[in-house]
Amino acid sequence: MSVKMEASAGKLSENTLMIYGIVVALVGTYLTYLNVVTGIAVFSFFGGIGAIAALWWGSDTIKHLCSYGLGTGVPSAGMVAFGAGAIAMIAGTKFGLASPIVTLVLAAIIGAVIGYCANNIINMNIPVMIFSLMKLSIVGALTMLGFAAMCTGTFMFNGLVIGGMTLSMEPAEVAAGGAQTFMVTVLPEFASSLIGGAALTVIFFLGAIALQHPFNACLGPNESQDRTLMLAIEVGFLSMFVVAVMSYAFLDITSATVGVVVSLIGWVYSYKQYIALSKRDAYAWLDAKPIMEVGGNE
Amino acid sequence: MSALGGAAAGGEGINPTGTLVGIVILLVSIAATYALGFSIIPLIGIIIGGAFVGFGVHFVPVGGAPAAMGQAPGIATGVAMLAAGAGLAGLFGGAWAFEATGDFAIAVAGGAVGGGLMMSITCMMVNATYVFAMGIPAASGKVAKDPITGDTFPEYKSQGTEGHGLPFISFFGGVIGGIVTGLGGTLIYLALLGIYETGLPVIMQAEPAAIQPLAISLAGIFAIGFFLVNAVLAAYNITGTIEGPHDPKFKRVPRAIIGCAVASAFCGFISMLIVLNTGM
Repeated sequence: MSVKMEASAGKLSENTLMIYGIVVALVGTYLTYLNVVTGIAVFSFFGGIGAIAALWWGSDTIKHLCSYGLGTGVPSAGMVAFGAGAIAMIAGTKFGLASPIVTLVLAAIIGAVIGYCANNIINMNIPVMIFSLMKLSIVGALTMLGFAAMCTGTFMFNGLVIGGMTLSMEPAEVAAGGAQTFMVTVLPEFASSLIGGAALTVIFFLGAIALQHPFNACLGPNESQDRTLMLAIEVGFLSMFVVAVMSYAFLDITSATVGVVVSLIGWVYSYKQYIALSKRDAYAWLDAKPIMEVGGNE
Repeated sequence: MSALGGAAAGGEGINPTGTLVGIVILLVSIAATYALGFSIIPLIGIIIGGAFVGFGVHFVPVGGAPAAMGQAPGIATGVAMLAAGAGLAGLFGGAWAFEATGDFAIAVAGGAVGGGLMMSITCMMVNATYVFAMGIPAASGKVAKDPITGDTFPEYKSQGTEGHGLPFISFFGGVIGGIVTGLGGTLIYLALLGIYETGLPVIMQAEPAAIQPLAISLAGIFAIGFFLVNAVLAAYNITGTIEGPHDPKFKRVPRAIIGCAVASAFCGFISMLIVLNTGM
């Protein structure tokens, strides 16, 4: 079974999309650092915006890869992107303030190795294979990093693995005058964090579904670039909404609500745009209405 | 630029240059792990687990869209989805068995049983749907006789199809595939868990008991990532549909094993950087 899929020539070239995607994703992730600078967490939603930019670019990359007829369906490309991206993202967050950059570089290297395995060892012989898998790994890693930053307000390893602090009090020696002193130690709690509670896996699959869905849904003879990309933004905002709801567990109520409001506004707008573009591309459509109850003998 | 390219070339046989470079990447990953002061035993576990996943995926009868229309044998979905289902079921089984017993052998066996059970239930329900809902008999198009039961197929095969339903050999292949992929996924998980259980308390300066949930979560998330990478690489090797161990495409399995081993080795090396003290 080898179905040839056609990729539409769009207004935006793939390199333009890549530059926009990487820049917006990195800037969005870095803007969450304003949380640390200002001391309030309302800037977390920028991480989600960055993740959507990465997904927007990734859905176009998937289109170019899958137009070669992999024979395995479009979803597999989304799965390998996030499988490689998850490894790069978690390892990349160890590097403090440089984490987003290191994540990007690590993802590119992992993607290149996996692409080489697929292209040269498994003998796929697809010209864009290595470069596409590099890009998709970057998309996966930056999407997960952006959503994780949105969920917890930070993109650093300690913030992602430490959910809270508990105080432990142990009686120490009796001080002069007979007063009992206590030794107070701060113990970090790991099980209630994003990674420690494995909530990252939810982000993993939210991102993977959002990455593979747009081209999978829009492919066909009259696939057009702006419609596919608008669907990518729409499903991106939908995933961002779920992440915003998850962020109630990690952020204060105001910051999490800002994320929910931003994602809902974005989703409603992009959904309306997508429906308008679908009607534009459709041959004809019928605005179906409920069957009217006709009175009398008719 | 209406059509970017034709069908995938996906030739048979092994590409010697690519394989050689791959083996060099594998050896460099092992050497780098050793040079950074880690034990290489867990990395070997990850590599073997990845190779098991790549090997096991080839047993699973994957029919794709034609199978949904009764025009090809196999389960009507993609390779990556089926492998992820079997492997993750195995992974959960293995992780639970390790939590309950703490015994390596029982955990690996639990993973294998979990994956095999998931695939056998899937295959049985798929066949029930084919036979009782779609009304089609099981017949393979690639072989004339079932290698295990000796049932003949040509009389039951509809004209114009490549066969349909899920013959016994495909069912058998599915269960074996579930067992092998579940075993591989559990091996990867246990290797990673070993690294993080010993490494994280040192680097985070915390009690081993307090760090336990973090180690389990990290190993689980990484294992899912590894699993999907290996399953998709194997899916690329199959390029579409496969009937099971009797399918001619099964002969391509060596290059999937090499490819998955190389990818696992490199990803395993990256995953160990978590417990490397970067001073940040």
